[in-house]
Amino acid sequence: MKHKTLTQSMAWLHTWSGLIFGWLLFAIFLTGTLAVFDKEIDGWMRPEIPATSLSQSAAAQQALGYLARQHPQAKTWNIGLPGERSDTLTVSAGEQRRGGGTALDPRTGEPLAVRETAGGGFFFRFHFTLNLPRDLGIWTVGLAAMAMLVALISGIVIHKKFFKDFFTFRPAKGQRSWLDAHNATAVLVLPFHLMITYTGLVIFYLIYMPAAVDALFDGDRDNLGRALRGAPAEQQVRGERPTRSEAAELTALEPLLAEAERAMGPVSSLSIHNPGRSNARIEARPVLGNRIELTKGQSMLFDGVSGEVLRQPAVSRPSLLTQKVMAGLHFAQFGGYSMRWLYFVCGLASCAMLATGVVLFTVKRRRRHDGEGAVGALLYHIAERLNVTVVAGLMVACVAFLWANRLLPVELAQRGGWEVRVFFLVWLLSLGHAIIRPWRSAWREQLGLAAALCISLPALSLLGESLGDYLYLELTSVALGLLLAWPCWKLYQAPKERAPRRVGKQPVAQVN
Amino acid sequence: MALIAALLLACGGMLGLCLGLERHYKQLWHRLPSPMLRRGLRGMGWVLLAASFAVSVHVWGWAMGPVAWFGLISLAGLSVAFLLPYSAR
Repeated sequence: MKHKTLTQSMAWLHTWSGLIFGWLLFAIFLTGTLAVFDKEIDGWMRPEIPATSLSQSAAAQQALGYLARQHPQAKTWNIGLPGERSDTLTVSAGEQRRGGGTALDPRTGEPLAVRETAGGGFFFRFHFTLNLPRDLGIWTVGLAAMAMLVALISGIVIHKKFFKDFFTFRPAKGQRSWLDAHNATAVLVLPFHLMITYTGLVIFYLIYMPAAVDALFDGDRDNLGRALRGAPAEQQVRGERPTRSEAAELTALEPLLAEAERAMGPVSSLSIHNPGRSNARIEARPVLGNRIELTKGQSMLFDGVSGEVLRQPAVSRPSLLTQKVMAGLHFAQFGGYSMRWLYFVCGLASCAMLATGVVLFTVKRRRRHDGEGAVGALLYHIAERLNVTVVAGLMVACVAFLWANRLLPVELAQRGGWEVRVFFLVWLLSLGHAIIRPWRSAWREQLGLAAALCISLPALSLLGESLGDYLYLELTSVALGLLLAWPCWKLYQAPKERAPRRVGKQPVAQVN
Repeated sequence: MALIAALLLACGGMLGLCLGLERHYKQLWHRLPSPMLRRGLRGMGWVLLAASFAVSVHVWGWAMGPVAWFGLISLAGLSVAFLLPYSAR
C-alpha cells in the first residue's frame, strides 16, 4: 500500500463519509430548516383556525367557559393559548397530552371542525428521527451528526487556501464553480455548521451517553432529573391527598397571566387542577425562548382561588444550564422572528453546502467515471441518481406534503397518516424517475416540479375557505420556488450554450 | 430595523475585508490596490464588523447578540462572495 499524506487520507475520508452521510444529512438539514417555522406551517395546514387579535386572557376566558360547560367534573383542565406564532386555542380535560385537545374559536368559544393533519410537526419529527422508530432514528441521526463533524474538520484540513479563497466564487466554470460554491457555503457559514451539529448532538446526551445514568441512578431518568434540578422531590400537585374541599370560585385569570408573564415571559399554556374547588391550583408554562436556555418543562404554580404564587419557576444549576443553553441554541426558540429568519437562511446555506458537496462528487467523475475502477463507476451511477432523488426529490416531496394537506378530502380517515404517505410515495416516485431519465433531464424536471409547486402554493388558499393569515409563508414559498427555478432554467440553457465550446479545448460537461 | 442596520454593517465589513484582498480588488477595478489602500479597506472592514457586533449586542443583549452576529456576518460574507463576480462583469 502506498504511503499517503495526511491531506490525501483526509480528502479520502471527506469524500466518502461526505457522500454516504451527505444524503442523509441533506434530508436532516432541509427538514430541520423547515422546522424552524414548524408552528407557522402547522397554522397553514389548519386553515379552519381563524386569525385573531384577541388577548390571551380573553381567549383563556372563552376556554374556561367551554370547559365549565363540557367537563365540569374533570380533575384537570388544560388550555393551550394562542401566541405570537400561532392562533390556535386548544382545550383538553384530564391528563395533559402533547398536541392533543380540541381547537376552539377564540371569539365564540365554540369548537372548530379542524381537518386532521400531520401538521408542521412532521418536519420536526423527521428532522431527528427520520420517521423511523424513535430510538433507532435518533441513533441514526446522531451517527450522521458525528459524520458531519468529521466532514467539517477534515474539510478544513484539506482546504488548501482557507483565508486566501475566503470570498472566492468563480461562476460558469464547471467543476471549479461547484468547488467554489461548496467551499464558500462551508467556510463562511462554518460557525453555524459547527454550532448546529454539535448542539444537535448535545440535546440527546442521555441517549447517546447513558453510561453515567446507568451507573449512578440505575438508569432511572426521573431520579436523575431530580438530582439535576438539585431540588428535593417537588410536591406533586396531582398526587395531593384529596382533602376535603368545597366549591369555590376560580380566581380571575388576567392578573395571574400578567404575573406569570412578568416572571417567565409570554405564557403558552395553563393547567388548572381541581377547578371550581377550594384547593384549585393553576400551573402556567412559558413559551419556549424568552432566553437562550431551553425552558422546556418550566412552570409556575398559583393558588387557584386566591391567585397567590405557590412556586416560582425553577432556576437551572450550572451543569444543567449548560446543556439547556446548548439545546436552546439548536432549537432557536429565542430572539423572536428575526432570529428565526437568521436560522432559516443559515439552514438553507447548510443545505446548499451539502447539496453542492454531493453534486461535486458526480461532477468530478462525470467525464471519467471509471477512473476508480468498476466499483467506482457503479458508485458514480448510483450517486448521480441518488443525488437527484435526495436533493430535488426530497424538495418535491416536502412541498407535495403541503399540497396533500389541502387536496386530500377532509373526511378521509387517518388523514394525517395519508399526508405522510404522500410524502414518502412522492419521494419514492422521484427515485424511479431519477433512474429512468438521463441525469440532466431528471434534475431539470424534478427541480422544475418543485419550483412550480412552491410558486403556485398560494393558489391552494383559494380552494375552500382559509381563515388564517398566511402572507409571509406564501411569500417565502414563492421566493423559494423562484430560487429553485433558477438552476432549473440554467439546466435548460446549458447544452445549447456549451455546444460550440465543446468543439474547442474544453470537454468538461458543465452544469449549473 | 436594527436587524437591517446590523446586516448592512456586516455586509459593509465583509465587503471591506474582501476588497482588501488583491485578487478581489483587481476583479472590480482591474488594477492592483496600493498597500495603503489595501490596509485601509481591511481596517474599515474590521471596524464595520465591530460596529455590527455592537448593534447586535445592543439589540439582543450579551447572550443572544453574539449568536445573531455570527449568523449575520456569515450571511453577509456569503452574499458578498456570490454577488461579487456578477457585479464585476
